[in-house]
Amino acid sequence: MARRSKEERKRQIMDEALRLFSKEGFFEVTIADIAKSLHMSVGNLYNYFSSKEALAKELILYISKLLGNEIRKINLQPISAKEKIKKIVQFYFYTAKERPELIEYFLRIYLSHREVFKEGCEGMICVSPFVTEIMIFFEEGVRSGELRDQDFFSAFGLFMGYLGGMVFLMGEGMLPNDIEYYIEDISQNIYLALKNG
Amino acid sequence: MIEILEKIEGEAEVEYSFVSGEIKDVVVRFPHYRGIEEILQGRAALDALVIAPRVCGICGHAHLQAAAMALERAFGCKISKKAKIIREITRFAEIIQNHIKWFYLVIFAQLHIPYDFRKVHQAIVLANRLIALFAGQSPHSSYAIAGGVTCDITHVELLQAKAIVQEIEEILFDLLGEFDEKQLSKDLAKLFEALKSKNLLQIGKSLDRFITLSEDSVVKNVKILHGKRRKTSLRFVQERAFEGSYAKGVLYRGKFYETGPLARMMQMDLPFIKRLHRRYKDSITTRIFARIYEAKLLLQIIAEHLDQIDLNEPSYIPCKVVDGMGYVSIEAARGSLIHKVAIKNSKIANYSIITPTQWNLSNGTKENPSLLQKAIIGLRDREKANLVFRSFDICSVCTTH
Amino acid sequence: MDRVFWLQGITCNGNSHSFVNLSTLPALLKNIEFIYHPLLESLSFSKALEQNFDILIVEGGIKRDWQRGGVEFEKLFLELASKAKRIIAVGSCAVYGGIFKEYDKEICGVLFAKEEKSHYFEKFKDKTINIPGCPAHPEWIAYALIYQKPHLDDYFRPKELFAYTVHAGCTRNEYFEWKVDAKSFGLKEGCLFYEQGCQAPYTHGSCNKILWNEVASKTRVGTPCFGCTEPDFIQRDLFQTKTFMSIPAKMPLGVPKRAYLTLTGVAKSFRIERLSKRLIDD
Repeated sequence: MARRSKEERKRQIMDEALRLFSKEGFFEVTIADIAKSLHMSVGNLYNYFSSKEALAKELILYISKLLGNEIRKINLQPISAKEKIKKIVQFYFYTAKERPELIEYFLRIYLSHREVFKEGCEGMICVSPFVTEIMIFFEEGVRSGELRDQDFFSAFGLFMGYLGGMVFLMGEGMLPNDIEYYIEDISQNIYLALKNG
Repeated sequence: MIEILEKIEGEAEVEYSFVSGEIKDVVVRFPHYRGIEEILQGRAALDALVIAPRVCGICGHAHLQAAAMALERAFGCKISKKAKIIREITRFAEIIQNHIKWFYLVIFAQLHIPYDFRKVHQAIVLANRLIALFAGQSPHSSYAIAGGVTCDITHVELLQAKAIVQEIEEILFDLLGEFDEKQLSKDLAKLFEALKSKNLLQIGKSLDRFITLSEDSVVKNVKILHGKRRKTSLRFVQERAFEGSYAKGVLYRGKFYETGPLARMMQMDLPFIKRLHRRYKDSITTRIFARIYEAKLLLQIIAEHLDQIDLNEPSYIPCKVVDGMGYVSIEAARGSLIHKVAIKNSKIANYSIITPTQWNLSNGTKENPSLLQKAIIGLRDREKANLVFRSFDICSVCTTH
Repeated sequence: MDRVFWLQGITCNGNSHSFVNLSTLPALLKNIEFIYHPLLESLSFSKALEQNFDILIVEGGIKRDWQRGGVEFEKLFLELASKAKRIIAVGSCAVYGGIFKEYDKEICGVLFAKEEKSHYFEKFKDKTINIPGCPAHPEWIAYALIYQKPHLDDYFRPKELFAYTVHAGCTRNEYFEWKVDAKSFGLKEGCLFYEQGCQAPYTHGSCNKILWNEVASKTRVGTPCFGCTEPDFIQRDLFQTKTFMSIPAKMPLGVPKRAYLTLTGVAKSFRIERLSKRLIDD
C-alpha cells in the first residue's frame, strides 16, 4: 500500500466503517472487523480512533460537514429560495442514492442511538455544520420575503423530516420508483408548505 | 408687546397688552411643536414606553409612567405592590430634582440671590442617581412597562438608595434649614427677604382654585373650590384650542384650575402651607414655598417606601397587548399629567397628552381668565410679570410635545 | 478657558439635563465657561449672541422653518457654527435628526440626516464631533468638550467612547454566551437579545462601561437597549427581537451569520444548570 497521509488514512477508515455499519449494522461491527477489512492491525487503527464511540462521533461530524458544505454552495448561489429547495432536495436524494451509507448512518445510527453520542455530541454540536447551513437557508428565505416567518424547528422538521422519511422508505425498498423520480413533486410540496402568503 | 421667555424648558412668546402702564391682558404662545402624538400613531403599543418619555428632558419619567399606566388600563393588567412602590420612588425622585433645579436655577437666579451651586448640583446629581438605581438611567428610562418594572433589585440597590436619600436630606437641610415660617433660616430666609424687599410677597395671586386629577399614595384626585373639596373625574376635563399656539388650554367643567405642587400641598392640611396660604393666598410666595416644601416631603416618603419593598414580590406580571382604551392621570413635577391611548389591532390608533402647564397657562377670556392671566393682569412691571410666569414652573417642551 | 455656546434646536432638552448630571460639573466649570446654557447660569440668549466663543454645542435637530429666540433657526445655526472653532453635536437629534424626524422629514442633524450626509456636512465636517445618544451621556459630553482631536469613526463619533458596543460590560453577558434568554421582563437572569428586543450587541456606545448616573444602565435594570446612538434610532417594535425563522435579524457587531449560528448551536446544546435557574434562591 502506498504511503498515505494520516488524514487520508483516517478518511479511509471512516469510509470503510460506514460501509460496514450500513451492511452489517452498527452494533454488529467491531473495531477489529474494520481493521481486518482494511488489512491493518487493530493496534494501528486505535492510533486513529481511541474507541468505537470516538469513531462514531467523528463519522457524524464528517457527514455533517460534507452535507453542510454542499448546502453552503447552494446557499451562496444567487437564486430564489424555491430553486434552493429543489437543489437541496436533489442533492440530498442524490447522496442517498449514490452514497446511501452516509444518510443511513445519519438516520439509523445517529438519530436512533443518541446514547452512543451522549458525550461530545450534545444537542447540535456534531451536526452543527449541516444545521447552520439549513438555518441560513431559512433565515435568508424569510428575510427576502419568499418564505413565511415561523419557528425554526417547525420549518426544519417539515423539511428534514420529509426528506428523511423518503430516504427511509427507499432504504426499506418500499418506493415503487427511483428516488429521483420524486424530486420535482417533493420540492414543490416543501415550497408550498413554507412559502409566504 | 411680545417677549420671548427662555430657560423654561424651551421658550414661549408672551404678549403683554399694556393700558396706561398696567398689564391688561396676557397671551402665551408655545411655538415648538414636535409631533409626539403623531409619531406614536400606528406603532406597536409598547413603543409608547420609549417615545413618550422623549416629550420632556426634565419630567420624561412621569410621561413614561403615564404611558405605562395608560397601557395597563387599556390591556386590563395589574402590577405588583412592589412595582407600584418602586415606580413612586423614581417618579418622586424626578419631582425632587425638578424642584431643586427650578428653585435655584430659575427662581434664585431670577431674583439674583447667591447660592451654593456645588451643594445644589450634588443634590440634583444624587436625585437622578436615585432614579437610575431602579430605572437604569436618568433622563429617558423605559423601565416602567405595562405589567410592572423591568428591574429586579436586591438589597444592594436598596441600601444604595437609602444612603442617597439620606445624603440628599442632609444637603437640603444644609441649604434650606427647617420649614418653620416663624423662623425661616438659610436659603428659605434669603428667598423670603428677597421677595419682601422687592415688594413681591403678595404678587401673582390667581384664581385660588386647585385641582389634582390623579391618585397615588400621597395625593387624592380632588379639586378645591371656595375652600371645598370635591372628587374629580377625568371625564370632566375639556381641551380648547387657541389660535397661534400649539398648546391647547384645559378646563374642568368650564373652569380653570391651578394644578401642581401648590394644589397638592393644599389638599394635605400641612400647617406650614396652610399658614402661608392664609397670609399670602395663592401668590408667588405660597407657590414657590409649596414647591420646595414638596421636595422635602417626597424625600421622606421615598425613605418610607424603601422600607416597604418586599423583594419576594414579582417586579413584572405578564401583561398581554389587547385592544382597548386607557385614560389616566399621574402627578408629574408640575401637576396632573394626562395620557389617553386607544389600541386597535395591537397598534396605537390614537394617543393624546394633556400636560400640567396647559392647565396653568391656558389663554382665557376677560370673563373667564386663566390662571396665568388672573395672576398677571394688573401688574405694572414686566420683570414682575415674568417672575409670576416662572412661579408656575413652565415646561415649554411638555406643553407643545 | 474655552467659552461655550449651548444652542438648542428641535429637542426635548434631555441632553441639557443629562449634562447637568455630570458629577464633576463644578470642576469642569473651572476649565470652560458657558456663555449660554439652557439651565446653567449664563447670559441671556440675545446677549450671548453678541459674544465671541470657542465651542458651539448643538442640541436638537435643525430645520429651516423654525424659530429660536425670535430668529430663524437655520440662519442662527449657520451663523454660530461658522463662528465656532469647534462644534459638538450632542444627542441623536443634533447628530442624525433624531426621533422628531419621524414626524418631520425635513429635520436633520449637523452632519447627518439619518445615514445620509446633511447639507451642512462639507461645511462643518472638519470641526465637528458627534456625541449621539438619547440622551448623550454626561461624561461623553465632557470628553468632547475637553479632547479636541479624538479618533473618530465614520459617523464622527469618538472611538474611545463608541468603538465599544453597549453589550460590552453588560451584567447579563454569561446568558448571552450560553444563549439563555430572559424568560420574562423583571428578572435579573437571562439575555434580552433573543426575545425582548435588546440592540446592545450591535449598538455603538459605552453605556455598560461608563455607567449611567455612575450606577446603572438600561440592560442592568432589565430594559433592552433601543440603539439610541445609531442613525436608525428610533426603530419600531422596540420590545421585541426581530427574527427570521427564530434567528435574530441583526447579528452582533462584526460577527458573520455563519460564525454566530455555529456558536449558537453549540452553546445551546448544553444546559448550564447555574444559568437555567434563579441566581438567588429564596
